[in-house]
Amino acid sequence: MKAVLECRELTKSFGGVDAVADLSFSIERGHIHSIIGPNGAGKTTLINLLTGIYTPTQGSIRLADRDTRGLAPYELARRGLGRTFQNLQVCMNMSAIENVMVGRHLRLNRRFIPALLRLKSVRAGDRDCRERATELMRFVGLADQIDAQPSEMSYGALKRLELARALAAEPELLFLDEPAAGLNANETHAIGVLIREVAARGVTVVLVEHDMKLVMAVSDNVLVLNYGRRLAQGTPTQVQNDPEVVSAYLGGA
Amino acid sequence: MDWLKRIPLPRMGLIVLALVLAGAPLLFSNPYQYDVAIHVLINAMVAVGLNLLMGYAGQISLGHAGFFGLGAYVTAVLSASYGWPVYLSMPAALVVVAILAFVIARPILRLSGHYLAMATLGLGILISIVLRTEAGITGGPDGMMAPPLSIAGTDLYDERYWYALIAVLLVITVWLALNLIDSPVGRALRAVHGSEVAAEVVGVHTLGYKVLIFVVSAVLAGLAGVLTAHYAGFVTPDLANFIYSIEFVTMVVLGGMASTYGALIGALILTLLPQFLTGVDELEMMILGAILMVVVIFMPTGLVPTLGRLVPGGRR
Repeated sequence: MKAVLECRELTKSFGGVDAVADLSFSIERGHIHSIIGPNGAGKTTLINLLTGIYTPTQGSIRLADRDTRGLAPYELARRGLGRTFQNLQVCMNMSAIENVMVGRHLRLNRRFIPALLRLKSVRAGDRDCRERATELMRFVGLADQIDAQPSEMSYGALKRLELARALAAEPELLFLDEPAAGLNANETHAIGVLIREVAARGVTVVLVEHDMKLVMAVSDNVLVLNYGRRLAQGTPTQVQNDPEVVSAYLGGA
Repeated sequence: MDWLKRIPLPRMGLIVLALVLAGAPLLFSNPYQYDVAIHVLINAMVAVGLNLLMGYAGQISLGHAGFFGLGAYVTAVLSASYGWPVYLSMPAALVVVAILAFVIARPILRLSGHYLAMATLGLGILISIVLRTEAGITGGPDGMMAPPLSIAGTDLYDERYWYALIAVLLVITVWLALNLIDSPVGRALRAVHGSEVAAEVVGVHTLGYKVLIFVVSAVLAGLAGVLTAHYAGFVTPDLANFIYSIEFVTMVVLGGMASTYGALIGALILTLLPQFLTGVDELEMMILGAILMVVVIFMPTGLVPTLGRLVPGGRR
């Protein structure tokens, strides 16, 4: 298996505190990977490093064998990286489907003059974009809220909307930052089913999640962090039976 | 009448706008009324551009009168002092405004919120000070003459022709603005407003789009200034006065953020208001302030979006 993403000795310090310390791991194509760990373990810092929001203090990140150092999030998006957010980042000034359509930004003719004149190519591209966005909203279960305003949508629906937007970009590697946070058991189960369907479409998924039931149900591989370091990595069963993981979670000796 | 329903609402608005602008002269009986109408159109042009920046992309500028004044002065200086034909000095002025806006945009648009407001305010004031103090070039506080625009060998003095010219330019501006908003570029701009980080991670180069729309809105303000210079026949540093920057922002907020037609209505109301308040000059600013407060408190999305919500499908 070829690694889609590879980290070497990754470190991120905030004022002397290493939120992520000397972390090396790789993510293989076509799998569902999960990153878990107790609160403050560095999960969110790690995802922000990998998606270009933060710059590493030390170490390297290679995406499809190319160094991502110094690349902004929008440049990483061009290299096939997508993500959703733990705290929702839905554009409240746009309708639901427009949010998803923004996701296809890189696939559309976005030159200024054609847009200004609304040339045929722009109109055709937009029509196609709207169709694909509608399809994606159906896929995530929002078929009845296509033209809804985000302010009228439920929290769970907005989480799905973010997923649809990320998928609209057709990413190769998709980071999901706590997709189940704030959802009830039924909704969490449904998100789990959806994540599997996404992976079945050939997208490599990296899940950062608190909900252990979800993680253990969908993951092929789990990376456990504690204090910014790797505590364990393996299949869900291996990780669950690792004494160090158990003690980190239960606070035992 | 089925074909009527098939025209999308924003395009329908464009037809209505063209008809209103074409029909309005029927109500005008003297040059003064044309003069007021021309000022409405000129302000509307600035407001439509500023609305792209503020209403859609969510970036404030308290310095657009600076671009307005700069456009007016560059064309005046090039044509009056250097003898350029006006049809060349006008586009040259727009190029100068575009270049200045582009150079200043990158550092300035890394800021946001209050910091951006302060930086643009400073920029506008700076331009107005330069226009006032560089008396050797600009004529100082007294301003300078700007030669008339000639079309086909005849100098354009008649208000009616100016009205027609600027009305056509405004309709084109509104058409282009509506097109832009309803395109991948427009969606990217609105996403920058909605969530900058979300826009970034789907591949929107947010700073690039902010710079783009800042330049576009500055050029529209510059175009309005260029037209004002040759229409009025003279320019004064007062054109770049920061009070006008505030007025432009007020037009956008009053008419409705993220509403192109709102910007037009805002420009109409704010330009006409002083006409109705002549004689009670000292009350003008008070009444203006009161209107603004009422709108912001009771109609925070502005006039046109608030009224538009009463009509089904009547957004934008």
